[in-house]
Amino acid sequence: MQEKFAAALADASLAPGAAKFFRGAPEEAIARLAVYRGNVVANAQEALANAYPIVVKIVGEEFFNGLAREHLRRHPSTSGDLNAYGECFAGFVAAFPHTQDLPYLPDVARMEWLAHRAHYARDAEPFGASRLAVIRETRWNDLRPVLAPSCTLLESHWPVARIWEVHQDGYAGELSVDFESGPERILVHRPRFRVQVAPLSAGAHRFLQRAAAGSSIAAALEAAFAEEPGFEFPAALRAWIEAAVVIDFELG
Amino acid sequence: MSTIRIPPPQAQRLGAGVGLRAAHYHHFLEMRPKTGWLEVHSENYFGEGGRDLHVLRRVRADYPVSLHGVGLALGSVEGDAAEHVSRLRQLADAIEPVFVSEHLCWGRALGRHFNDLLPLPYTEEALALMVARVQQLQESLRRRVLVENVSAYLEFRASAMSEGEFLGELARRAGCGVLLDVNNLYVNQRNHGSDALAAMDAIPPEAVAEIHLAGHLVSEQCLIDTHGDRVAEPVWALYDAALERFGPVPTLIEWDTDIPPIETLLAEARRAEAAMGGLVHA
Repeated sequence: MQEKFAAALADASLAPGAAKFFRGAPEEAIARLAVYRGNVVANAQEALANAYPIVVKIVGEEFFNGLAREHLRRHPSTSGDLNAYGECFAGFVAAFPHTQDLPYLPDVARMEWLAHRAHYARDAEPFGASRLAVIRETRWNDLRPVLAPSCTLLESHWPVARIWEVHQDGYAGELSVDFESGPERILVHRPRFRVQVAPLSAGAHRFLQRAAAGSSIAAALEAAFAEEPGFEFPAALRAWIEAAVVIDFELG
Repeated sequence: MSTIRIPPPQAQRLGAGVGLRAAHYHHFLEMRPKTGWLEVHSENYFGEGGRDLHVLRRVRADYPVSLHGVGLALGSVEGDAAEHVSRLRQLADAIEPVFVSEHLCWGRALGRHFNDLLPLPYTEEALALMVARVQQLQESLRRRVLVENVSAYLEFRASAMSEGEFLGELARRAGCGVLLDVNNLYVNQRNHGSDALAAMDAIPPEAVAEIHLAGHLVSEQCLIDTHGDRVAEPVWALYDAALERFGPVPTLIEWDTDIPPIETLLAEARRAEAAMGGLVHA
């Protein structure tokens, strides 16, 4: 019974096959199945809109709902936790025929999924002053920086950090985005409770990428300088510690 | 069953509470309005960290908190919710809720989750499945669980007992409690003529540990359980009948869509308190 009911929820054309399970006239049961089908779609649309608020703003609510309906058809939820739904959305948008005039949309969606995950990520323990004593006695170059659990990196051909900025609630600056401003590297992180998106220089990006993979400061710096000879490491590190991006250093 | 924690006696004296939603976080953190208790949707606190969990821990210091799940789909024939249960257990262990509740419904099939509260036929087969699932859940959580009746827009030909009889039997066999949603009883009465009062009469009085009140939407098709409005007058009348049968059971005002100012919610909770006889927090 549940499989037939489920099939009717996934596909309206299968509703007549499920109608026999229910009291009343078949056409009445088919209409009530449509109420459930509508709820299923609405719940998925709401969950997806919650994870992708900037995509909603860019394409408009009505178009987004159509997009979400089609996404649900191809990538149904598999979890009882709707906050976990929508991971495949960027890939879906990239292949969707009717959003091809918005080539930056998939990367905006990728950024928003990272932000959505960052929202629920484990809290970062603040960088303890006691750790500094340990560090002072150690050879800096051998230390491995530890990034906060919320931190992720993204590279895009599009100015995604700028797109993020202009779509934030309360943003009062100029609304223009220069789409020709070239490739961008960003850090998505959550210093305390509010997710931030920060543009990174090529060197900073490469350094954090290596650090996230477990490299020592020396190895990460070598890669960063190869990318950007003028990378200003001391200033960057100070800012990362202050913003709880780098939350600790490990030895060995 | 000795490992299952039964809600403390003071749970009976919680009075009326309201559902805590993100739009009202700052009110509860900054103004700590007077209300008997708070209830949240468990799944919204399944993250490992972040603001939601932080707020929940903070309000837990000021209010009893109940964890109300919407995603376990206990009556699904298919699938396994082990990971979901393990997250719920972690959350319950961290929050020490006054109640943990879920729904009398299914939702997993064909390898997917429909994320809706789909109705079950009231058959022996469905009852046996629900009893097994609820017992498993109670053992995993090491807590007594409350199971809530849902709104149904369809009625199964196969049903061999009434909704009330099914809930009563489930509570008896699984040793769980009942979360009685009075609005859902009313919606079902309007949608397919089931008798809400008879449903209440079929549930053993001691089984009901919590009551839900919410608003619904009257559509062309049928009544839809939207949690997006004030509690309707006929639902308040049924609530009086429920109090008469079950006593001053802890009652929650649910509001999930078109969330109003907090004052509106608290006023609904005060009305429920008044209906309880003004015995608590009066």
